[in-house]
Amino acid sequence: MTAAIPQPSRTYDLSFARWVRENVKGGDKMNLCMQCGVCSGSCPIGSEMDNGPRKTFMMVRAGMKDEVLSSSKLWNCTSCYRCYVRCPRGIPVTSIIQGLAAVAAKEGYAPKNKVENYYFAKAFWWSAETFGKTDERLVTMKYFFSFGLAEGIRKALDNLKVAIGMIKAGRMHIGLPHTIKNKSQLKAIVAKARELESKG
Amino acid sequence: MSEKMKVTYYPGCSSEATGRHLDESIRAVMPELGVEMTDIEDWNCCGASIGHIGGGPLPQLALNGRNLSNAKKQGNEHVMTPCAACYLNTHGSNLTIRDDEAKREKVNEALKAGGMEPYEGDLKVHHAMEVLVNFVGMDKVAERATNKLEGLKVAGWVGCQTVRPFAETDDGGNYDTYEDPEFLDDITRACGAEAVDYEPKTNCCGGSVAVMKPEKTLHLMKLLLEEAEKAGADVISTPCPLCQTNLEMYQDAINKKYGTNFQIPVVFPSQLMAVAFGMDPVKDAALQRNTIRAEKLEKMARK
Repeated sequence: MTAAIPQPSRTYDLSFARWVRENVKGGDKMNLCMQCGVCSGSCPIGSEMDNGPRKTFMMVRAGMKDEVLSSSKLWNCTSCYRCYVRCPRGIPVTSIIQGLAAVAAKEGYAPKNKVENYYFAKAFWWSAETFGKTDERLVTMKYFFSFGLAEGIRKALDNLKVAIGMIKAGRMHIGLPHTIKNKSQLKAIVAKARELESKG
Repeated sequence: MSEKMKVTYYPGCSSEATGRHLDESIRAVMPELGVEMTDIEDWNCCGASIGHIGGGPLPQLALNGRNLSNAKKQGNEHVMTPCAACYLNTHGSNLTIRDDEAKREKVNEALKAGGMEPYEGDLKVHHAMEVLVNFVGMDKVAERATNKLEGLKVAGWVGCQTVRPFAETDDGGNYDTYEDPEFLDDITRACGAEAVDYEPKTNCCGGSVAVMKPEKTLHLMKLLLEEAEKAGADVISTPCPLCQTNLEMYQDAINKKYGTNFQIPVVFPSQLMAVAFGMDPVKDAALQRNTIRAEKLEKMARK
C-alpha cells in the first residue's frame, strides 16, 4: 500500500479509483472495463449479491467508496474465476474483487455489516496461523460461535448428522488438531509479513 | 514422457480430513504411472480462497512462500498438488514471487524472519490433473487400467479452480480449456467407463460460501445433481476435494429443501483409476470414505 485511503468529498471524485489502481492487485487494469457485463452475467451467485462486478467497477469510478466496501458482492464471491477468464478485456476481475474485500476487512467495513464471510475467514486464518494447518472442525465451530452462544449451538446441531457421517468415514478426526512441526517459524514469518503489509 | 517423473508433493490440509480419500488414492495411483512423490517438508496451509480476508494478501503470499522455500530446498523443480485451492494459491504465489520484484523482496524478508532461505520463484507448480495430461498421458493410464470399469456411467465435473484461471496459460501447462475441458472424460474413458454428456461440467458448487452459508448455494448443487441424474450417471467424478465434500454432504439438505430424492455418489478420478488399476478398494481407492457409497463402483473393485 503506497498511500492512505482517501476520503472522497464529491460525486465522481476519482481519488478512490486512483487509490484502487495503485493499491489493489489487478486494479491497474480496471480502467480497461467497458461495462459489457460478461462478468456479472457469468457469476454463479449473482442472484445473492447487491452489486455484480460490472456495477462495482462503475461505483469505484464514481468514487462510491463506502458503498463499494460495504457491498455484499465482496463477500459472496466463491472464487470460481469465471469472470476472470471470460473478461474480453483481460481484466483479472476476481483478483480485484478479492483485493477490495481485503481492503474492506482491513478498514473495518466487514464487522460493521456483520458479514459471515469475514468471520469465517478470520476463524480459518486463526487455524492456519496457530497450527499451520486448517482444522476444519475448529474453524467451523469458531465460525458458528462467532454469532453468539445460542446461534452457535443451533448451527452446530444443524450440522451434527453431517459431522457424524464424516467421523464414521474417517474424514473428521477426534483429538488434537494436526499441526506443522515448526510453528514458531511460521508465526515469525506471518508476523513479519503483516508488519510489512501495514507499512505499505 | 520419460519413464519416471519426480515431484515434490503438496497434499494440503484436506488430505488429513475431508479429502483423505483424494490423498490416499493419489498416493496409490501416481507411482503406478511413473510419478514419484516426496512430500514438501513440514508443509503448511495455503490460505485457500479466504486467506486474503482473514490474514491479508501479503501474509497469505508468505504462507505459500514458506512451502515453496521448503520445496526448493528439497532440490526438485516440480511441485504437484491434487487440491484445486492449493494449486490456485501455490501456483499463483509462485508466479507473483517470480514476476513481481517488490512482492518477492517482501516475501523474502518475511521468510528471513523465520530463518528461511530466500525463494526466487524458479520452481514449477502443477496440478495433479495437469501432470496426468502433460507428463503421463492417457495412453499410459489406459494401458495400466487392466480392470476396465465397463458399464459405469460417469458425469465428469471439473469445477472451477482446477482449470481456472491457469489451465489455458503457458505457466499452467496449457493442459485444457476453461469452458469445455476434456481431461476428466478422457480419464473416465481410459478407465474403461462411459463418460456421459454433462453440461454443467465447469459449474461452481459455491466453494467456501457453501460451507459458511449453504442456503445461498444449494440451488447450484441441485442443478449439478439434476443434470447428472438426467444424463443417467451412476457416479459424479470430480478432482476437487471441496467440490466432492460439498456435493456429497449437502444432498440431504437439498432433498429436504426441494423435496428431491438424490443419493448420487461423488468420487475422485483417482478413485476410479485405483479401481480400474485393480488396486485395493480400501487402502488404495479409499471407497469406504465416501459417505454416499459408490456401490456400483465397489462391485467392480478387486475382491
